[in-house]
Amino acid sequence: METRSCSIDGEFVTTRIAGRMEDTLQAFAVRAACFIGEQDVPYSEEFDGQDFGATHLLAYLGNEPVGALRVRWFQSFAMPERLAVMRRFRGRKVGQLLLERARALAESRGCNILYTRVSPGQATYFEKQRWRRLDDGQTPGARPTVALVRPVDPAKENAEIADTDTLALSTQYRLERSAAAVA
Amino acid sequence: MTPQTPTQSPVVTIKLASTSDELLQCYALRAAVFMGEQQCPYWEEFDGNDYSASHLMLYVDGEPAASMRVRWFSGFAKLERAIILKRYRSMGLFVPFVEWAKSFAAQKGYPKAYLHGQKRLWEIFERQGFRKINEQPFHFSDHEYGAFAAELDMADDPPSVLTDPMVLNRPEDQLDRPGILEESMERGASNPHAEWTERRIN
Repeated sequence: METRSCSIDGEFVTTRIAGRMEDTLQAFAVRAACFIGEQDVPYSEEFDGQDFGATHLLAYLGNEPVGALRVRWFQSFAMPERLAVMRRFRGRKVGQLLLERARALAESRGCNILYTRVSPGQATYFEKQRWRRLDDGQTPGARPTVALVRPVDPAKENAEIADTDTLALSTQYRLERSAAAVA
Repeated sequence: MTPQTPTQSPVVTIKLASTSDELLQCYALRAAVFMGEQQCPYWEEFDGNDYSASHLMLYVDGEPAASMRVRWFSGFAKLERAIILKRYRSMGLFVPFVEWAKSFAAQKGYPKAYLHGQKRLWEIFERQGFRKINEQPFHFSDHEYGAFAAELDMADDPPSVLTDPMVLNRPEDQLDRPGILEESMERGASNPHAEWTERRIN
């Protein structure tokens, strides 16, 4: 089911689209903490040059930024990626809340398909949220990824995604890693 | 053709953060270490003093590896928020980085560097010429600290109000080199400015 709200210790987690410099900095800080600090991803891979052509979503507990998600927009799909939740707030559905916010945002823009690439170990997390594998393949290399898609409209859950050719377009970008620090 | 000798040791560069990108790198490193590793809340890490400070960056082969914030008080420079990214620790970067910060402060004419050292790092600071100001430890953001100060080797010719004004215009970590505003002197003084516009009342 879609996670439309979640709370931690009785306080609701809120989400918003980064609209100010400070919001964007907070998204970067959450990602830096999770990916660079915890997972030892090099700075230049985490901040890959795509951040200023993307939409950043944030999750807050009170004033404290606790999660972030980047969404990139393509003609035939929206791409949520770089999902990060601060360690001590994991397991409370903050990641699901952000993914649902991204889905709703994509819906409001008339987008039909969400597409992302994750490491094989994280696929289950997405599959529980109605994502499914685009194909059986995974990218080769030290950090393999699998392609996941889900329709923006939950009613079309079982519809075939006909547009797989256009999804292939995204491989020209460096998509080695998208979501990792979730639980 | 001469075969190229592969570079064995990494190239370490230290500079004053002077662009938005470099500042972003600084904030990302601090978020990685303080928020990611040490569980510091966002608003304690980004405490409102970042836009009244100088930020120092250290790069290893061009990759952001360490950063430090310096705030300028009357009579002393306060070194703070000093971190090295996990993968670059044990490379001996901390001592030269702090030395660079000390000499940067000295070049600006500061006689003293001051810092709040986390307890586990006290020995390192003492080896670098820092002395505890008193025996009164204090704590914030879940860590115990002591206040330390080090006397700095005074620059031969520290900036003063009598220093060549164009020297004071230079980038602060390059006071010994002509800056871009000295190049602009070739254009002369044509005193361009917009016409005075009366505020229109609609």
